[in-house]
Amino acid sequence: MDIIDIRELCHRFPDGTQSLADISLTINSGDFVLIAGANGSGKTTLLKHFNGLLRPESGTVRVCGVPVQDDPLAARKNVGMVFQDADSQIVGDTVYDDVCFGPENLRFERDDIERRVKTALAAVNLGGSMNKSPHHLSGGEKRRLAIAGVLAMTPQVMVLDEPFSNLDYPATATVLQQIQQLHRGGHTIVVTTHDLEKVITLANRLVVMDRGRIVRDGSPADVVGEIDAYGIRPPCSVLLGQGIQPWLR
Amino acid sequence: MFRITRAGDSAVAALNVIGYKPGHSLLHELDPRTKQILVMILSTACFFGGYYFLGLVSLCLILCFILSRIGVVRTFRQTRYFLFFLCFLFVVRTVTFTERFVPVFTPEQVQSAAVFCWRLLLIVLMGVLLISTTRTADIRAALVWGLRPVPFVNERTAATMVGLIVRLVPLMLVQAGEISDAMRSRCVESRRKPLSRMSRFTIMLFRRAFNRADDLVETMQARCYNEYRAVRILQFARIDMLAFCIAGALVATALFS
Repeated sequence: MDIIDIRELCHRFPDGTQSLADISLTINSGDFVLIAGANGSGKTTLLKHFNGLLRPESGTVRVCGVPVQDDPLAARKNVGMVFQDADSQIVGDTVYDDVCFGPENLRFERDDIERRVKTALAAVNLGGSMNKSPHHLSGGEKRRLAIAGVLAMTPQVMVLDEPFSNLDYPATATVLQQIQQLHRGGHTIVVTTHDLEKVITLANRLVVMDRGRIVRDGSPADVVGEIDAYGIRPPCSVLLGQGIQPWLR
Repeated sequence: MFRITRAGDSAVAALNVIGYKPGHSLLHELDPRTKQILVMILSTACFFGGYYFLGLVSLCLILCFILSRIGVVRTFRQTRYFLFFLCFLFVVRTVTFTERFVPVFTPEQVQSAAVFCWRLLLIVLMGVLLISTTRTADIRAALVWGLRPVPFVNERTAATMVGLIVRLVPLMLVQAGEISDAMRSRCVESRRKPLSRMSRFTIMLFRRAFNRADDLVETMQARCYNEYRAVRILQFARIDMLAFCIAGALVATALFS
């Protein structure tokens, strides 16, 4: 079943720069889609169209069959977005408050909010940090908190923009495991990155973007051999002729 | 311009002054409406209360800082720019000039300026205590409750605006600290013209503050932020009655001493 359906999407920045051109993309329920591209290729701009944070110049974006422009709130309920900079996403005074933020916006009952917050924090192993100030968490914990904040809204699709940027090895490994668990739990996952190494084995589809266009779209095994031409470094194992190998052992 | 002794401390320092500090002290447990009402009443009383009242309020505030585990000395250190401003006010109110522009100091003027600054300091410290011990969501809920009876005011819009300011001010301070660090790491102090330094700093600060505000709005929108979000349930308890009684006794000293 199509959960996100994009047809001939074009977007232009206020200064006139064409950031997305003629994007058509369909994401099915349960997919793990990796969107790769060099800096400035339009990955983040595309993601912001998934939940109506940007308005298209032309074309349509549908989430669960409903045009995003008609009902952005429904799109935001269904598509949870984790931003690249976790700090800018944190709005609560405590870890608990931050995870509450989404469910409170959706006006759930207080008991339901409590339940959602506890479940989301447990899912990212932050259950013991409820009363901590988010600004005192480590980089990896902040990223997991951002994921919990979105999880508490129980979206069908989780969109993660460069989820491993600025993380050390243990934090990257933890976030990677969380993403893997979310996918196993039935979430549709969309991840953007220019560093394929860590996450390529989890994805069942690789979409390559270049200068605002989709230039390759297929299974990672089929596409990975051609990504070098678009400014994306292939995983080491591919460069060494060993095919796609998991980053986590 | 911000001067931070250790690089990287700026962000945390800014948040320490302005932001909420999680805790379970008596002040943390007080209903946010009680805290807001008490700050309003005591701030007003500060303007007409005498030495006895100001002394008592000062003692109570020190006690509150200790009970809330918010260091008094650290608070003074982190609000040092305000203290400089108070010193400036003190000087301005102390000195008068004769017809021939000769500065004159009188003990009465020194006394009056000291009391004026003392009052301002107490009001600011009450505000620091309120913000340090009250979650932003609770401040918002209390505002919605307080503004509901006011005609022609949309209490939710007003509370949302206050909530956004409370969220944005620490972000701006963080930005200021980071810009200051970045400029000092490129030897901005060696520039001789302070105006040039200040203008570069201000332009950068505004540019980054607006960008961060855009980011914040975007992330809040992505999580379905709206005026009609669920408001926290607030409940007065016995401890609130006790706080009102203590505040009543303090105000009585202002009125009758």
